[in-house]
Amino acid sequence: MAARQPRFNQQVLIDTTPLPDDIPKVSEIGASSAPLLSASFFIGARCKPYNDDFMHCKTEANGTGEVDCLREGRKVTRCAASVLEDINKSCLEEFRKHWQCLENNNQQLWQCRRWERPLNNCVFEKLNLEKKIPGAPEGETPVHLRKRQIFAHSIATQ
Amino acid sequence: MPQDMPPTGGYEPVQYRRSLPVRGFRPAYYLVAVAGIMTYGFWRFGQGIREQQELSREKMWSRIHLIPVLQAEEDRDLVRRTLASKAMEKELLGAETKTYHNDRFVRPTYAVTPSNVTK
Repeated sequence: MAARQPRFNQQVLIDTTPLPDDIPKVSEIGASSAPLLSASFFIGARCKPYNDDFMHCKTEANGTGEVDCLREGRKVTRCAASVLEDINKSCLEEFRKHWQCLENNNQQLWQCRRWERPLNNCVFEKLNLEKKIPGAPEGETPVHLRKRQIFAHSIATQ
Repeated sequence: MPQDMPPTGGYEPVQYRRSLPVRGFRPAYYLVAVAGIMTYGFWRFGQGIREQQELSREKMWSRIHLIPVLQAEEDRDLVRRTLASKAMEKELLGAETKTYHNDRFVRPTYAVTPSNVTK
């Protein structure tokens, strides 16, 4: 259900009426795609219960999930915002390096392992959030920990 | 008239086959070499496929982790717009009218232009 902003010929017209006061306010994430991608596994690690709760709510609401799941949605947003805030507090340098690399490399994770490793270590040490890819075959090194990335276009970024 | 006879000791053997030196290795060696190159290539190809699978799994999960966040934001925006349009309708018409004979939510296909341009 992708909502498109109504576009008219001359200008973009957006109805800016805020939500009514009886719905609690929540500040939106406000991060662009590269930082979100960089932090996605940490968001997943901390916010999994909230995320699952929200998605279940949406599934079970039979088409009215937009209104019925506002509460769960706020929890999801707050949790993700808390993760981003914590990363910004404790691992800002590594985080910035990694998402800027993603931004410069078409958001391909395998081009930026060199900056991903220190970020993962820092976040694991300070926030105790670990990047884990569910469903990866056991007994193999997970792809984000491999020394050599076959598809990376430069060995300088490995 | 005397008849021509073969020379004494017979004719020399006729050379009917070219006697060029054989170049290169025996064919079996080439076969083995090609098989080796092919095996190596397929092995690397297989490694590439495995790695690509893992990379796509990683990408998939990074999106799965992000979907609820993005969806929640989107939903709030949709609810905000819907409530605003309902309020506007009530203010203009004095009553809420139903476009469809149904309670199901139907995403509006029109947009009311706000009085002041926002962007």
